[in-house]
Parts: sequence; C-alpha cells; structure tokens
Amino acid sequence: MNDPRPPKLAEKLLLRFIKEDLAEEVLGDLDEKYYSVLEKHPKKANRNYWYQVLNYIRPFALKKTKSKYSKLTIMFNNNFKVAWRSMKRQKMYSAIKIGGFSIGIMVCLLILLYINDDLSYDQQYQEKHRVYRLVNHMNDPTDTERWTSFSPAIKKVLESDYPEIETVGRLIPFDWFNGGNNQMRPEGQDIITYEEGFMYADPELLDILEVQMVYGSTENALSNPKSILISEDKASKYFPGENPIGKTIILNEDTAAHYTIGGVMKNFPKNSHLQTDFLLTLVGEEFWPGEQSSWCCSNYNTYLRLYDGSNPTQLESKLLSIRDNHLVPHFRQRGNLWADELEKFYSIELQGVTDIHLRSTDIHSEFSKGDITMVWLFGIIAIIVLALASINFINLSTAKSANRAKEVGLRKVIGSGKSTLVFQFLTESILYSLVSFILAIILAVILLPYFNIIAEKSLSIPFLEWWFIPLIIASAVIIGVISGVYPAFYLTAFKPLSVLRGDTSRGSKSAGLRSVLVVFQFTASILLIIGAVVVNEQMNYITRKKVGFDKDQILIIHGTNTLGQKAESFKNEIKQLSSVEEVSYSNSLPVEGTMRNNNQFWIEGTSTTKEGVGAQIWGVDEDYVKTMGFKVVMGKDFDPTLTTGNPILINQTMAKELGVEDPIGVLVTNKFEPPYRIVGVIEDFHYETMRDEILSLCLRLQGGNSLAAVRFNPQNVDETLSKATEIWEQFAPNQAIRYSFMDEKFNAMYKDVQRTSRIFNIFSILAVFVACTGLFGLSGFMAEQRRKEISIRKVLGASVHSIFRLLSSNFIRLVLISFVIAAPIGYHYLEKWLEDFEYRIPLSWGFIAMAGGIGLLVALITVSFESLKAGFQNPVQGLRSE
Amino acid sequence: MKETGLGEFEEVILLLVGILAEEAYAFRLAEEFESQTKRSVSIGAVHSSLSRLEDKGFLTSEMGASTASRGGRRKRIYSITAAGERALQSAKDFRVSLWSQYPQLSFVGILNQ
Repeated sequence: MNDPRPPKLAEKLLLRFIKEDLAEEVLGDLDEKYYSVLEKHPKKANRNYWYQVLNYIRPFALKKTKSKYSKLTIMFNNNFKVAWRSMKRQKMYSAIKIGGFSIGIMVCLLILLYINDDLSYDQQYQEKHRVYRLVNHMNDPTDTERWTSFSPAIKKVLESDYPEIETVGRLIPFDWFNGGNNQMRPEGQDIITYEEGFMYADPELLDILEVQMVYGSTENALSNPKSILISEDKASKYFPGENPIGKTIILNEDTAAHYTIGGVMKNFPKNSHLQTDFLLTLVGEEFWPGEQSSWCCSNYNTYLRLYDGSNPTQLESKLLSIRDNHLVPHFRQRGNLWADELEKFYSIELQGVTDIHLRSTDIHSEFSKGDITMVWLFGIIAIIVLALASINFINLSTAKSANRAKEVGLRKVIGSGKSTLVFQFLTESILYSLVSFILAIILAVILLPYFNIIAEKSLSIPFLEWWFIPLIIASAVIIGVISGVYPAFYLTAFKPLSVLRGDTSRGSKSAGLRSVLVVFQFTASILLIIGAVVVNEQMNYITRKKVGFDKDQILIIHGTNTLGQKAESFKNEIKQLSSVEEVSYSNSLPVEGTMRNNNQFWIEGTSTTKEGVGAQIWGVDEDYVKTMGFKVVMGKDFDPTLTTGNPILINQTMAKELGVEDPIGVLVTNKFEPPYRIVGVIEDFHYETMRDEILSLCLRLQGGNSLAAVRFNPQNVDETLSKATEIWEQFAPNQAIRYSFMDEKFNAMYKDVQRTSRIFNIFSILAVFVACTGLFGLSGFMAEQRRKEISIRKVLGASVHSIFRLLSSNFIRLVLISFVIAAPIGYHYLEKWLEDFEYRIPLSWGFIAMAGGIGLLVALITVSFESLKAGFQNPVQGLRSE
Repeated sequence: MKETGLGEFEEVILLLVGILAEEAYAFRLAEEFESQTKRSVSIGAVHSSLSRLEDKGFLTSEMGASTASRGGRRKRIYSITAAGERALQSAKDFRVSLWSQYPQLSFVGILNQ
C-alpha cells in the first residue's frame, strides 16, 4: 500500500483558484495539517483536507481575474444590466417574447430529435458504404413498381459472375414455412410460447450486416442445416444465465421443425431497419424439390457487400445480364408473356443500406420504414414555428420602441456611437434568446415522455454529448442576433433631437413591415390549420369507410394450427357458444400481418396467348364468407357438401380482369395445381390499406387453419372471451390463448398515418399559439398607443362596439389577406398528398374555408381581449395624466 | 480609526504570533488557537486574518525554512511590528481602563443571584 497522501483533486482545485505567490506556503500548511490529522483520526484526514481547501476560498487568497477591469466587460455588464431591467419593467411583453420563443425552440428541439433519430438508421455498420440491398424495378411508364424479393437462384449467379461482389446473403423476412410467427418451446420444457418475427437467412448475411455475437461466431452460427440464431433477449428469456448453444427449439410442435441453436446475437439496435429475434438458417433448406436452383418464385431479399472501390452504377448495368440470361429465358420457356414485359421494363437496382429506412416508401417490403418527405415536412414546420417566434420578437421590439426612444436619444447625446448602441440591443435580444433556450430545454425535458408516446420513439435529449451544450449556446446566440438585428438598427436610427423634443409617436412608423410579418405569421398558421383539418378528415374517412366486411364483430384466435387433429372439434365447441354466430379457419384475413401471396392466373387454355392475372389466393374454409360478412354478387358461396372439383370464389376485380362476361363455371389455372372452377363472385372488399387499390383475389377451400375468425354478438364481449379462453385451455393446456379483435388490427394498419396526423396536429396548434401570442402583444400595444384617442372618443359618445371595431379591424384585415394567400397554396399541396390514397375524400373548398374560419376566429378572440378592455375602460383613466 | 482597530479574533491571532515567535506560521497558529481557545478554526480563516493584519501594518512576514512534513515547501513566518505591539498595548490599556471604571458591587450582585 502507498502511504496516504492528501487528495489530489482537492490540491488541484486549490491550485486553480489560489494566488500563485501563496501556493507554496498554503500547500505546505495544509500538508502539515493533513499529516497531523492523519495521526489522530486517519479516517477524517481526507475530509478535513477538503474542508481546509474550501475554506481558502476567500477574497484575499483568490487569483485576480484581469478581465474584470477591461472596458469591454464593463460595457457588456452594463448592457446586460440595462437589458435585464427593461425585461423586468415590461413583464407582459417580456413574457410573450420569451414564452413564444421558448415554445418555438422547444418545438424545434423535439422535431430535430425526431429527425435525427430517423436519420440515424443503419449508420452502425462499419462498411456501410459498400453494403447494398437489391431492388427489382419495373419501369413500366403506366405503372412503375419496385420490390425487394428475388428468386433463390440469384445467389449463385451473383457469387460466380460478378467479380466486384464480395459476399451475397439472402433473407426471407415474412410468413414463409417456419418464418413469421410461431408457437415455440425449447426441448425439455412444456410451456409453448408465441413468438414473432422468425426469418430465414444465409450465414453470409450475418457478416454483411455485421451482426454482433454474444455466444458463437458469425461464421459458424448458421452454417449447419436446421440451426437457429437467437437474440440476447430471447436467450435470457428461455435459457437464463447459460450458454444455449447446442440446445433445441421446437416450432409449432412439428417434428420437422426442430432447430439447434448455433449462436446468440446481440439485439439489433433500435435504429436498424432489420429487427428480429430469431434467424433460421437457409443452409440445406429446399422448400420444394428444385426450389433453390429455380428462377420462379421470388421470395428472397438479397444483400450484397461489394469490394472496396467497385462502382455500384456499373454493377447495376451489368446486372441486366441476369434479366437477359436467366429471368427472360425462364418465363419464355414456359410460354409466359411476362417475359416480354421483363425484357422491356425490368432492371435491378442497388440500394445503399443506409437508404433503406428513409428512401423506400415506394418499395414493397416487410420492414417498417420512415419517410424522407416526412423528415422534410417536419423540418419545415420546425423552421416555421421558430420563424413565427422570431417575428413576435421583432414586432414587439419595434412596436415598443417608443418606450426606448428616450433612452436611445439620451445615450446618443452623451456620445454613444451607433455601433455601441446596436451592440447594446443585440445583447438584449441574445439575453432573451438565452433565457428562452433554457426555458425551452426545461419544457422539452418535461414533454419528451409524452412526445415519445405519440411519436412511438424513445428519444432522449443528448445532454452528455460533447457537442450539445456548445450547439445550444451557439444557436441561442445566432437566433438572438437574427431576431435582434432589425430592431437594433431600427431603434438606433432615432435622431436624438426629435426624440428628446417629445416626438414619441415612433412605434407606429414601422407598421408596414409589422403588417407584412403578421401576414406571414398567419399565412403559415392557416396553412398548418388547413393541413390539420384535411389530414384529420382523410383519417376519419379511412377508418369509417365501409370496407366490405364486418370488421367490428370479429374476434381472431391465432395459432390454431398447433391444435392439429383437434382443430375441427375446437371449432365446433366455439360455435356452440350462445354469443357466437360463425367460426371459420383460414390463413389470411383482410388485415395486415396475415398471410399474403401472389400468383398468376389464366383462364384454362390461354396461358400461352394471354398475360396472366396477378392475384392473391387465400386458403379458407366453407364458413369464411358467412363469417366475414362478404356479399356474394354472382353464383353461390362454397357448398359444404360439394368440395370436389376445386371450387374457388373470386372478387369483382378479378372477374373484371379475367375479362369474361359470366365467370361462373369458368376454369382457371395457376399452373401449379389442377385447374380451379369459379363458383361465385364476391363483392370487392379492402384487404390492404386504403392507399392501395383493391386487387384481384380468390378464395379456395384448402390449406388454411392458422387463424380462427369468430363472429360474435358484440353485446357480451367479455363473456365470449372468457368462454373461448376456457375452451382453448381444454384443448391446449400448455399454450396461452392469443387473440385480437379485427377492428383493432384494422386500425393498426393506419397507425403510421394516424401518428403523422397527430404530430402534425400538435405542432400546428403550437404554431398557431405562438402566432397568437404575438398578435395579442401587438393588439395590446395598439390599444395602449391609442389610449387617449379612445378615451376622447368615449367621452364624445363612442360605443364599446365601435371602439372594438376600430381596434380589431386592422388585424382582421391582415388575417383575411393571409387566408387569401394561404388557401391556394394549401389546396395545391394537400391535393398532392391526397393523390397518394387510392380511396380519398374530395378536397373541397369547404375544408379550406373552415380552416380559414378557425384561423380568423382564433385571431379575433386574441385581439378582442385587449380591444374590449380598451373599450370598457373609464375614459378618465386615459385622460387624467398631463 | 477603524483601519487600525483590532477585532477580537485578530487580537488573539496577534498575541499568538508574539507567543509562537519563530514558529508563527498559519498552520501552527491555527493549531495553537484551537488548543488555547477550544474553538475550531480553519487554516484559511487564520491566513485571511494574518494577511489583513499585514495590510494594516501590524505584522511583517518572510519565507522561512522548509521541513519534510510539508513536502519540502517553505513556510511564511510572521512577526509583530512596532505598530502591532502598540495596537496590542492600546487594546489592553483600553480594557484595563474600562475595568477600572467597572463597579465592583455588581460582582456581588452576580454572585448572589
């Protein structure tokens, strides 16, 4: 052990503040004290040393700071003092300036955090500049389309034919054999648990996406057939405190689905486009004979890492050879006319991994995505709100200039130069800005948890980052200067003589500019209101629109495929319940998150002469149509007694696309299964979001039992649920029931739109609020300026009504001008936004008028407060001075 | 007048400087103060008082020898000036003159209570 020494930190502190010529003796004295205390009370020695050091913080011992005496500092201190005093003298105006400012800055801060989070996606890979995802691009001029799934055989070709490609890894991120959602249990445990998001992946993908490992290595984790890689979270859930490598996981009680754990990976970071807890290996998988070497059936997302220095654009053009050598011949050989389309319009693009999150809005893929246009939109809102707050500052400062005119005049007489005066007023606005920033940060800290709930993010303010505090201070100064520069020059332009002579009607001189700024504020506000109104209307329209089935009365029980043989009796028991009307098994329901597929259909015998009709085919049972409440418009529903002959039902869109007058009895084929006979046509219903058109769909009678849709009487929901749970427990004692309500699932499909509209609403309200505080301040000022005039008018018999009109008409005129400017701009951009939706409200001028009305009303209320106060005041109050 | 006056604490420190003579430096003075008065004091407080007394001209100081227990650092040894002696003397005289005017009887009064 070392000998005890006085605490280093305390010594350092002492040396920081103490005069140099005292340092030696003081350190010596304190050392002596330290060792003498150490002898008697060893434990107290350190504490005492600190005590002694702190007791040296006395004026006589402190270093003299020279700058205290420099002229500049004195001037600065004085400026500061004057600014502080004027801030205190005018409490209401200061409160409006600072309040508006801090709300503006807070909005900015929250939005910047939001944007920053969106922009941080997939930045974690070291080699991100050479990691790409392949994207199919069909550049048909009438209908351009981009999607990410490729044929299985593409991997070998990419590896062998393109020297610039270092590694290729494929991924199947959706419901596909054992991918998607499963009922799982570790071997040797009884409890079966539902887990989501299983994906198939090549071992190379771990290397490309730089997956971090806890146990095992990226090279070996997925290299054996039937191996599985699980996340840290799930490892500690199922195998707490142990290394699970080599253990077995069983999916869906299926003997063919035993997977051996080959490794444990760290959880994917929150800002990674790929989120999964379970990766199944593709090594040794062949989903049907010949699948891996075939060019049909695109199911594989494909990631590449290129060699350093290779040119992605060049590679893109080289990749056209895949189309020419493999895809086109494949389809042509089978007489599929798709080959011609491919030849004309198809290409393969490389998308940088960092672009996946924000620049994929038009790409069909399974990942949740952000939207770069939203990032822009929110950024613009942030700037607008900040501008509104700065305008308040400018307007109120110039309006109140009369009060400062005497001060300026006197300073000038005494000999103050213009630059020092400008400096003084800039100091003042920087002070305002700093105070507002502090308030804004406090507000943001308070509101962030709520914002996180609304935005569904987990943002935090990066106080600890080295750049945060300097950035805040720098922005405070910059914003202070920007909003202070005009008032500063305006105020210092006064001529001392005229000011001191008593010509103080100054405030109204800059009215022209103020009006322009008010118009700008209200144009922006009304635009935001229009946006909020229309977005809300569209949202209501979507969630209330008749979708073609009864989403409100359907309970979905998930995972019924694990019941195996007992499924049929389970269905019967549920059907016995008094509140249950119908039950049906299927794999697909008209809400997101259930199975989807894509097939080409031809009327039997036309597959070489005609283009196929792309359609979904859903496996259902004979009660499906009744349960969902679809309408059969032609032919008949499935007949339970007549299940032979491959009957299918098609929707109206498909009937139209097939192009036959009477589709009943027509045979169609997808060339995999024997031909289907159309027995009926059902009315179109929405099974994707309203952004998308309803596409062709058919229902067949086999192969779907993972979901039970239960149509029930909504009067006793709880009872139905508890009884269904009871029955479930008899059938599957080791497995918790998992259910959802169709309407909730349905609404979840619009979550991103709803979230956007909520954020939009909040920020619009805040923007309008900021604009109104400014208007409030201005109207108060005008009333004050014209106090004598109003008093005299009242004495002469003017009514409150006429005075109110006198004071508010000017502002109302400004708001009306703003509306005239805002209306066409708003109309234009909202029309564009609505074009995105296949099913949308018509954009009527009614909405815009309504938004204008709201803006006008808010402005009127704001202005009326001060105007009425002026109207009601006793004229004596205004006239007795002088 | 105020400038040359002595506070109670200052007076004690000044006296201690005289008593400790060659050993009169901040640490020793603080230790001595604590042992004589049973009041605790920080070295900083003593040092501050010493520098004030030096400003008033009651003390002079010079850097003295160093010892191992101070990490080889020198100490500042204070000594009383003639003015300091005078100030102490006048403070004492002032008290003595006050005591001489003090009525003896009240001692009895206090004792009787």
